[in-house]
This record gives sequence, structure tokens and C-alpha cells, in this order.
Amino acid sequence: MNPLELTLGIMTAVGGFVDISELVFAAKAGSMFSYALIWVFVLGTIGMSVFGEMSGRVAAIAKQPVFNLMRHRLGLNLGLLTLAGSLISTLITCAAEVGGMALILNYLTGLPYMLLAVISVAALMASMWVLPFKWIERTYGLLGLMMIVFAVALVAIHPPWAKLAGGVLPQVPAGLSSKELLTFSYFIVAILSAVLFPYESYFYSSGGIEEGWGPKDLLTNRITCTVGFGFGSLLAISILATSAQLFGPINVGPELPGTSALEAAMPLAKPGLLLALLGMLFAVAGAAVETCMSNAYAVAQFFGWEWGRHVKPWEAPRFTIAWIAVMLLALLIVLTGVDVLSLVEYAVLFSIVVLPLTYLPLMLLANDKSYMKQHANKWLAKSLGWLFFIIVTAAAIAAIPLYLLTSGGQA
Amino acid sequence: MLRRLCLVLLLLLAACSKGPGADLQYIGQARSLAAEWALVNEQADKGRVTATYVASMHRWLRRNLKTAASSLTQPDSRYGAEIRTLLAEPDDAAPDELRIHADRLKQIEDRLESA
Repeated sequence: MNPLELTLGIMTAVGGFVDISELVFAAKAGSMFSYALIWVFVLGTIGMSVFGEMSGRVAAIAKQPVFNLMRHRLGLNLGLLTLAGSLISTLITCAAEVGGMALILNYLTGLPYMLLAVISVAALMASMWVLPFKWIERTYGLLGLMMIVFAVALVAIHPPWAKLAGGVLPQVPAGLSSKELLTFSYFIVAILSAVLFPYESYFYSSGGIEEGWGPKDLLTNRITCTVGFGFGSLLAISILATSAQLFGPINVGPELPGTSALEAAMPLAKPGLLLALLGMLFAVAGAAVETCMSNAYAVAQFFGWEWGRHVKPWEAPRFTIAWIAVMLLALLIVLTGVDVLSLVEYAVLFSIVVLPLTYLPLMLLANDKSYMKQHANKWLAKSLGWLFFIIVTAAAIAAIPLYLLTSGGQA
Repeated sequence: MLRRLCLVLLLLLAACSKGPGADLQYIGQARSLAAEWALVNEQADKGRVTATYVASMHRWLRRNLKTAASSLTQPDSRYGAEIRTLLAEPDDAAPDELRIHADRLKQIEDRLESA
């Protein structure tokens, strides 16, 4: 285990943890329900660590990417259905990230939004063409670390720490009306979806294969998934807690992603604002790359094409065409003028619906000793895997009714 | 159990219906946008944000307010008039003035929710 590689891996996981959906839902959750939804971020992060570690271990030992497994474990028909669902949800997520990027650049430069969307996509595609996998992941992840300014802002406003810590325990605030209870439930589902986005495990496990992981990398995988995702989650919780403290009392339930940057500007002035906007920009850009490549990985792995960024783009032509097509489709969606927040809503909704089908084959393979040998899931990973599978399945069933009943958390 | 099921069905119906119940989400959006506008102007007055950020936020706040206003099923209602008055405010309106609009919309929202 190389300490430098491990540190960089953890820092990349921290900086790459937050995306536009977490940004939006953390700020809204804090302003609407104070600290009462912190536990959902904690729960989601434990789930992400469990499935992330599992997908990394499967990549290292069985050398199997998620969509290859899906085809073999679910069969062609159900596999195709899951592939289609994943492609749609991840494409919408990618469009939300591209729109978010253009929006943040608009706050920084004042240039027209549509032009910035085109520039963003051109810059993302250039970086994906030029950089090898490791540096694509690291560049955005490390620059996304500027989001730490939200944690600094939280400390600077002196929140009631005891009350904040109380939010870690699962709870439902007392005195909520039936409507508020439904909205609270919708936020639980949406936050779980935003933290457990399926693209994260596709990207993570495909990355493991790209980098040629083996048994020697299992400890690095475990530490990255627990420590990296854990610290990343602290950034999302900082956004929620600062919003609870600064926005909730004055009726601000952020309708614009740019409002979240005020969380850093209020205690830290212009440097805080700029660091928050730049951190948000790179975190969202990283997520745009991850979603785009995840879709290309999914298609290529499912149909058995040559794939990966360890080879030159022209050496895996169908894979290259796939990620270019995904990015251009995401741009087209943004250019229709659809609101970024609406895209975020649809992204979390579609993602949670396909999540159980994504995690089931992964878990079955990780349990299978014939593939995984002594690295198969032990009792703890098995128990947590099934527990989270039940949780995401319940969330998937509840997602659409809750979305309709609460008008996407607005009612 | 039956009571809860009835409530869910009623809420589903309300989500598809017209009138103040269906407009609640847009009133809530407009209330938050008014409060965000006040906050942006307040921070601008204190010199804590850049001029580019403020100008960009004003454009998006106005755009989203217009969308909320045009989505109302009852645009001639009291809340419709309040959102129009809010939209007539200049970009650099006083934060307190904008907060009055946010408070009024909040009162309407609370009244409709408890009705």
C-alpha cells in the first residue's frame, strides 16, 4: 500500500463526494427540517461505503465490472431493462451536472448560460480525451476539495453542536402535519438516492479494473470507501447544518443552487463565496465526467465491447463514441432550457428506482465463493448488504408516490 | 390505516387539481425566492459578494419568479397579485422591503396549508 496513493485516493473521494443533487437536497433539507435529516446522510454514506467497497473488491478479485455481472446474473431481458433504466437515470444526472456547471460559471462570470453549457461540455470532453483515467478522477476530485470551505463556514458560525450531533440519530421531528410528514419522507428517499447514485459504483468499479486492481489493493479500497466517503459526507452535512442555521430562520428554502454559496459568503465574505463557487464547480464537473463515463462503461460492458481510458480513444472506438454521445445528449437536454432543479428531481427519482436492480447482482457475486474465494462477503458485509438492499428497495417503491404527493418536496 | 389511505388519495387528487391547493408549491417557491433575493441584496450591501454574482442571481431569481407566477392556476388571486408586486421591485430593492413580500407569501402559504 503506497501511502501517497492512498492519501490521494482518499482526498479524491472526499472532493468527489458531493454533486449537484446532494448540494441541492442538503441545503433544502437543512432549511426545512433543521438537523433532523442528518442521519439520512449518515445512513446513505454507510450504504455507499458498503456497496462501493463491494464493487471495488469484485473488480479487484473477480475482475468483473457491474454491467457484465448484470447481464449474467439478471439474464438478457431483465439485464436490458436495468441497462435502459440506468442509462436514462444517469443521462439525466449528467445533464443536471452539466446544467449545474453552466449555472455556477454564470454566477462567476456573468456570461450567457447556454454559451457556458457549451463551453463546459467542450472542456469536459477535452479533459476526458486527453487525461488518463487516474488523472481525470483526481483532477476534479482534488479541485473539488475547495468545498471544505463549507465545513469552515459551519465552524465559523458556531452552530449548537449538541443539537447538530443529535441529528445523527434516526428521528422524525415532533409536531409535523401529515403533509409535512410526507415531505419529510420524500426528503429521506431523495437524499438516499442522491448519496447512493448507481453511477458511483459503476464508475468506481470500472476504475478499479482500469487501474488493474488486485488482492494487494483491497485494503486501499476499504480505506478509500470508508474514510474517503465518510469525510465527503461531512461536507454534505456541513451544507445542511449551515443551511439550518442561516437559511431556515429567514424562510429561505434554496430554490437556486447559487444560494448555497451564500453559506460560505455570510461568515467568510468574498473569499468564502469564491471558494464555495469554485469548489461546487469542480465537484459538479467531476460528477458530470463520472456520469458520462459510467454510461459509456455500462453500454460497453453489457455488450462486451473494448472499453476503458487505459487505451487510446481510437483503440476503443465504440466506447469513445458512447461517451461522446452521452455528453452531447446531456448538452442537448440542457439547451432545451429545462430547469436544473427539475433535472435534479428527475435524476434522484429515476436513480432510486433502478438502484435495487443495480446492487442485487453485485451483492450476489460478492457473496459467491466460487468467484471471490476467501474474499467473498463475510457476515458483516452480507448483513449490511442485505439491510441496504431492503432499504433501497423500500425507497424505490415509495419514491414515485411520494414525488407525486409532495410535488417533488414542494408541498 | 383507512384514514391514512383516504388522506393519501385526497393529497393525490389535490396534486392533480386546480386552485389554491395546487398553487401551494408555487407560492412556496415564490416565498423562498423573495427571501433569497433579500439575502443576496443584504450581503451585497455588506460587500460580502461580488457584483457579477449579484447580477447573475438577480437574473435567475426573476426568471424563476416569472415561471412560478405563470404556473399559477389562479393568477388573479391575492397571492398572484403579491408575486406580481414582488416582480415589480427593482433588482436592488431594500432587503427589508423584499422580506415583507416573503412574509406575506408565507402567511398566505400557512393559511392555505391549514385550510
